Amino acid sequence: MIRYRKFFNKAFASFLFILFISFSTSAQDGAALFKANCASCHKIDADFAGPALKGWKDRVPGGDWIHKWVHNPSAMIASDPYAKQLFEKWKPTIMTSFSNLSVEEIDAIMKYVDEFQPAAPAAGAPGTQAAAASQGGSDNSLLYGILTLVLALVALILIQVNKNLRKLADDKSNIQRGKPVPFWRNKTYLMAFVFVLFGIGGYVVINAAIGLGRQQNYEPIQPIYYSHKVHAGTNQISCLYCHGGAQDGKHANIPSVNVCMNCHIAIKEYKGDPIIREDGREVNGTAEIRKLYSYAGWNPDKNEYNPDRNGDGVPDGARPIQWVKIHNLPDHVYFNHSQHVVVGKQQCQTCHGNVQEMNEVYQFADLSMGWCVNCHRTTKVDFLNKETGEGNKFYSIYEKFHDDLKNNKMDSVTVESIGGTECQKCHY
Amino acid sequence: MKKIKIIGLFSVAVAALTMSGCGGKNNPGHTYMPDMGYSRAYETYAGHDSTVITTNPADRGGKAIFYNAMPVAGTIKRGELFPYTLPNDTTGYRLSAKVENPLKNMSVIMLPEAERLYMINCAICHGEKAAGDGPLATSGKVPGIANLTSPLYAAMADGTMFHSITYGKGFMGSYASQLDRKQRWMVINYVRTLQPAPEAKPADNAASQDSTVKKG
Repeated sequence: MIRYRKFFNKAFASFLFILFISFSTSAQDGAALFKANCASCHKIDADFAGPALKGWKDRVPGGDWIHKWVHNPSAMIASDPYAKQLFEKWKPTIMTSFSNLSVEEIDAIMKYVDEFQPAAPAAGAPGTQAAAASQGGSDNSLLYGILTLVLALVALILIQVNKNLRKLADDKSNIQRGKPVPFWRNKTYLMAFVFVLFGIGGYVVINAAIGLGRQQNYEPIQPIYYSHKVHAGTNQISCLYCHGGAQDGKHANIPSVNVCMNCHIAIKEYKGDPIIREDGREVNGTAEIRKLYSYAGWNPDKNEYNPDRNGDGVPDGARPIQWVKIHNLPDHVYFNHSQHVVVGKQQCQTCHGNVQEMNEVYQFADLSMGWCVNCHRTTKVDFLNKETGEGNKFYSIYEKFHDDLKNNKMDSVTVESIGGTECQKCHY
Repeated sequence: MKKIKIIGLFSVAVAALTMSGCGGKNNPGHTYMPDMGYSRAYETYAGHDSTVITTNPADRGGKAIFYNAMPVAGTIKRGELFPYTLPNDTTGYRLSAKVENPLKNMSVIMLPEAERLYMINCAICHGEKAAGDGPLATSGKVPGIANLTSPLYAAMADGTMFHSITYGKGFMGSYASQLDRKQRWMVINYVRTLQPAPEAKPADNAASQDSTVKKG
């Protein structure tokens, strides 16, 4: 009897083991299959491109409906009432057919879906206090100011002491002096004062005059709080995705609303880290996306553009976003983006700063002529190296200089040689 | 004494002038000759006088000049590819499989440029290797992103891809405003280099079987 029981125990244990193994493999397969085939359109516990899969058993008709549906959704929509109902809800999107998945594989996926447990939210989400941490006292000007005042006070006291001592000495040796002139009548003091005033005044006036027409750090309030940090930083969208004109011509375009809608058809709410304005208020990203929808004439509840009832060729309510221009060059300067981005291979950040770290964009450079010319003076021309094929092919038109250099007709290629100091290069 | 008064007044005036020059970061400040600082000429994005220039063809005639920056209908740029005429509907989508790729034999020299265009416009969703794993896909922000290296897309006709890029498909918008016709074909050719070599001749209805067509 004991032997039988032992045998039975062993058999039972191995049965459990096998059950466990087979169970876990199929669940794992289900997870892998789900990830490979379904995850780009379905989430388990939330609607995505398609419906949430959790609780599918209670919704779909029984039998092998799910297998038929996965194998050929289009045919099911034509014949099956529940499939038709699904299509009405999700149209115009129709699920891709997965005729390559076997019945067992589909079962494995659905099993994985049934057993899926959402990950518990991490306890104690990091607060935002750190962001608001006070900036350290790196500014020393207050300290210097106090020091100057103290020193000035000490100097005044010493002058007074000196005066009194001299008076005492004079009294003792009976020297008679005229009544001392007060300092506001003292011509030396007056002259010094005038000179200092003239210097400060001149400095201030000249700086103010130079600053006319320059708008470094200009940061206007835009119609939509568009954070470059979120788009170009967190989501790594290339600058040229939106500002593609920088490759082709004078202007780096401001993207039209359809470019925004490429992603925002799907991205309806902002779920990232909180965006804090400089005055400490938090930006409501979802509300800002709603503003975009109103400009685009998009109805986020129905997931479609408004109908064009007034016949102007765009959805009703759609209108351009009137962004405020930040960088402005006067009419007498010509600047071409493609010349710098494509030919000169300059990074956007060279002139615009680290835009991917700015929430609201401000003007990074002062766009003065001195700033332009300084960069032109120091930037090396990247001539084409014929042997390696590296370098900028644009400059092959200056080959003559190389030949002249070799033949000792010239001794060096200056910026002037390639037209860098021609006034008409920028002013015409 | 008078001199001191004059100097004092002068310095106060200078200070006032300087203060008026800076108006906070939300203010662009002052400029010499604003007529020159802010262009009066017809510049991109600049507003224009609606009594002189109209963008509505119905208002043509009289004093208003019609100008909307669009090319004249039926004209193409020198050297540009012919316009794509198939409509944005299911028939157009089906017929697009027969559209010939005009850059079928694209020179290898153009591949780096095609790659650059792909990286800027497509890789953000479809991923650097076209496996549907770009930053917006892995973060779950945009659903339904195609893995272009899968057999379904390896079997898809060039013309169908062109149709989808031109008009958009599913959650993908139209890229006609970001890539011109030639660039779209270049990108398709680049995607082909990322796909695994086809094992066998795909079934000819593979492309039309795919049914995630938008705007049916």
